Amino acid sequence: MGRSRREFLRAGGLALAGLAFAPSRTLRWAPTLEVIEMRSDALGSRVWFDPLGLHVEPGTTIRWVVRENVHTTTAYHPRNDHHSLRIPERSTPWDSGYLVRPGAHFDVTLIEPGVYDYYCAPHEAAGMVGRIVVGKPLGPGSKPFDYWVGKPGTRDWRHVPDAARAAFPTVQRILAERRVRPAPSRMQDEN
Amino acid sequence: MKRLTLTAMTIGLGLLFMPPDTATAQSKAPPGGAYKEVSTLVPLPDFIPGLGTLYVDPTTLPAGPFLAYDHQGNLVSSIYMIPLKDMNAHKGFGALKVAQERADHVDIIFNAGHPGVAEPHYHMIVWYISPQRASQLAK
Repeated sequence: MGRSRREFLRAGGLALAGLAFAPSRTLRWAPTLEVIEMRSDALGSRVWFDPLGLHVEPGTTIRWVVRENVHTTTAYHPRNDHHSLRIPERSTPWDSGYLVRPGAHFDVTLIEPGVYDYYCAPHEAAGMVGRIVVGKPLGPGSKPFDYWVGKPGTRDWRHVPDAARAAFPTVQRILAERRVRPAPSRMQDEN
Repeated sequence: MKRLTLTAMTIGLGLLFMPPDTATAQSKAPPGGAYKEVSTLVPLPDFIPGLGTLYVDPTTLPAGPFLAYDHQGNLVSSIYMIPLKDMNAHKGFGALKVAQERADHVDIIFNAGHPGVAEPHYHMIVWYISPQRASQLAK
């Protein structure tokens, strides 16, 4: 497993995504980089993404960085262990795999507008999830958690755990605040 | 005399083929037997800050025990990992193995999950060293 991995989600085109890593002086427009930290207290009792809610423009590269513990960033998508679809339909799901060492990171460039929900595989049941709104709040991630129940082809989809449902910031709050940090109680005993 | 010699040989051979004393075998890493280093089974660091280097018999997952060793390879604790869903279901865990060591103290600590036990659970840690020495495992 590499310490640094990078993927791009298609929407506006891979060429556009590639501009993010060209020499900046050649660019008339450069997408921004946003960092989301993957945190934990010393005992592994509390875990969280910081920020857990983020509003960005299309073309923004998101970098998840491990500060403590072992984490993943994994998109809510049926290809990821039968999780329900909670990213735009045209987007490619990502899964970082386990990021084991502090400083390890994983990049995704988000181009398709919409809501992107993601989770940490070993910590989803403990409520370690995050939400990114790219441009306008569109797509499956903007719908209620169980929107898919009863629809064809969804029989093996997994429900979002209760702790994760409770942890997601609302889309409205993300749009209002742009960056939503976890509640202080979740970060208690932060290193 | 011949019977005595035969008896002595029999005892000697018996000792030779006896399994090593559990305490002696497990007091130093690696513990041997069915125990595997956890970092070779799932993506975890070789040395986990606060706990040490962990070994487990995979057939005992998730409860364990996980045997933990310090940087010098000395046994420091046995850890039992009990998922909350099993506790909520009132599931019992009987006859869990122990390392044959004199326990110093026990910590019962909530853990949000990690590779291998990827769900909220409790670590029940039977320490064989003092809290002061245990705190030195933080790095």
